[in-house]
Amino acid sequence: MKFALFLGCTIPARLKQYEASSRAVLEKLNVELVDIREFNCCGYPLRNIDFKVFLLSSARNLALAEKKNLDVMALCKCCYGSLKKADYLMKENASLRKEVNGALEKEGLKYEGRIEIKHLLAVLHKDIGIEAIKGKIAMTFKGLKIAAHYGCHALRPSQVVGFDNPVAPSLFDQLVEVTGAESVDWPMKLECCGAPLWGVNDRLSMDLTLKKLTDGKKSGADYVCAACPYCHLQFDKVQKMILSQRNLNHPLPSVLYPQLLGLNLGIDRKALGMEMNEIPITGIEELLAAETELAKQPESTEKIESDKGSFLESRGKDDPK
Amino acid sequence: MGRHLTMIQLMELDACMHCRTCSSQCSVAVAFEGIPNINILPSEKIASIRALASRKELTPEELRNIQEGVYLCTNCYRCTVVCPAGIDLQKLWFDVREILLQQGYPEYLVLSPLSFYRGLMKEEMAQRDYEEPLTQAREAISAQCDLMKRKDKALPLTPTDRPFQNGLNLSAQAKTFSVCFGCQTCTTVCPVVANYENPQEVLGLLPHQIMHAAGLGVRDLAFGSNMLWDCLTCYQCQEQCPQGVCVTDVLYELRNLAVRYVREKTLSSSGKTL
Repeated sequence: MKFALFLGCTIPARLKQYEASSRAVLEKLNVELVDIREFNCCGYPLRNIDFKVFLLSSARNLALAEKKNLDVMALCKCCYGSLKKADYLMKENASLRKEVNGALEKEGLKYEGRIEIKHLLAVLHKDIGIEAIKGKIAMTFKGLKIAAHYGCHALRPSQVVGFDNPVAPSLFDQLVEVTGAESVDWPMKLECCGAPLWGVNDRLSMDLTLKKLTDGKKSGADYVCAACPYCHLQFDKVQKMILSQRNLNHPLPSVLYPQLLGLNLGIDRKALGMEMNEIPITGIEELLAAETELAKQPESTEKIESDKGSFLESRGKDDPK
Repeated sequence: MGRHLTMIQLMELDACMHCRTCSSQCSVAVAFEGIPNINILPSEKIASIRALASRKELTPEELRNIQEGVYLCTNCYRCTVVCPAGIDLQKLWFDVREILLQQGYPEYLVLSPLSFYRGLMKEEMAQRDYEEPLTQAREAISAQCDLMKRKDKALPLTPTDRPFQNGLNLSAQAKTFSVCFGCQTCTTVCPVVANYENPQEVLGLLPHQIMHAAGLGVRDLAFGSNMLWDCLTCYQCQEQCPQGVCVTDVLYELRNLAVRYVREKTLSSSGKTL
């Protein structure tokens, strides 16, 4: 299995742990990644300014991947949504395609619409498959509750992206549950993270983010889990800013999905950038238990505070293994 | 962060050999294909910033072009990483951006996700310096929307603004506003609308009303509504519309048209041309 990895602008500049953990996880699952250095902006922010510029920017990436005969895997949901949108529009509209190809020709590129665009989560779920992931898992989480955040641009418009059922998706929940964690039901699961308005209308962005995170907490989650740099930065760095500005405590920390899965696969915590999140997530590691060696586990529980510790202990005793 | 470039940055400007490696790696260089502003290209920004730093008299048009050029940047750091002279280009764009924004020319790009990075950096700025350009851009837009200011908002029956209506044709999606039957589902499911007790007071026209405004060809009401700029593009509205109106896509295109319209209008009124 081979993909052109589309990192976009934000991940290499501001979220290196997402790139590092994704690469490590995919390597473990035998996915080959090709880096195309000529990739440029996916077009997402440009779409607000000039439609044609958005389309050209997006299409250039697709043409570059096509030249190498590779499907594209995006880690960012806004990149994913933009590339899908451009692909959709150009497949629908021959005159747009002609115009874009006219501009791409100068570089010897051509968009023909021959390749697929996928998000990391869909690759894990559909191309690799839950069973194959299960087969590689060394340790699972016990007593961990996760609020899975789907992300708007992966789910909608469903006609364009076809990622999952837009009203009742389950893809991400299944991926969370494969780690042994519980994917909690939370009413605001499918709502926006608030990032598109950060820097534009901070008060509104804060309101939306806070509402969502409070809902996750209220629903019993210990962590929110994201698979998009914008969503994660909003839940991590921006959440930290919000809490200090509004004099609030008790964050709902955000863990990136490949960080979570990476721990299950036994990948070194440093390679997953466990220390790189602004709001610490290292507590999550204490909830890991070796899949087959549960009996040996109890001595490590002394580190775990109160309720979770007792939960883990009682689990350990009850477990027939 | 000051209002001037540092001594090191001024020296860096002289260190540039104009090898154009930065432009060849720039994430948004491709935008120059559609927006004819040479300042989009990092290697060419340097020359303009040199002129700016030497206190050369620049026309408002030139200043605004530099400002647009430094703002049209995803802050990906690639230019800094590849620069053989070791110039911290990213920091230079950021600082010049803030210096220019404080000079008072409204920059409409601040209302796009390009501002996400600026938001992450806000703790390094004075609050007033941070907020002013955002307010200014919105005010500059609403100043061009006369109808917004009228209390009754009584519309003349004719003529419909055909050029405006026909301008919504960038993608086939945007034409779909014409099949809206006014059920208000888009407004009901919008998380931005839901955030306010009295949304109209804050947002102006709500999503279904903006679809109507497009149908009626009333540009001022669509452009002048905060709703247009406070849209998350979360696509809830579009997903749920029973008529298949591509609500979010229409809003995207309206933003494109608004930026172009306001820029042209304010340029012609200041009497300066390229």
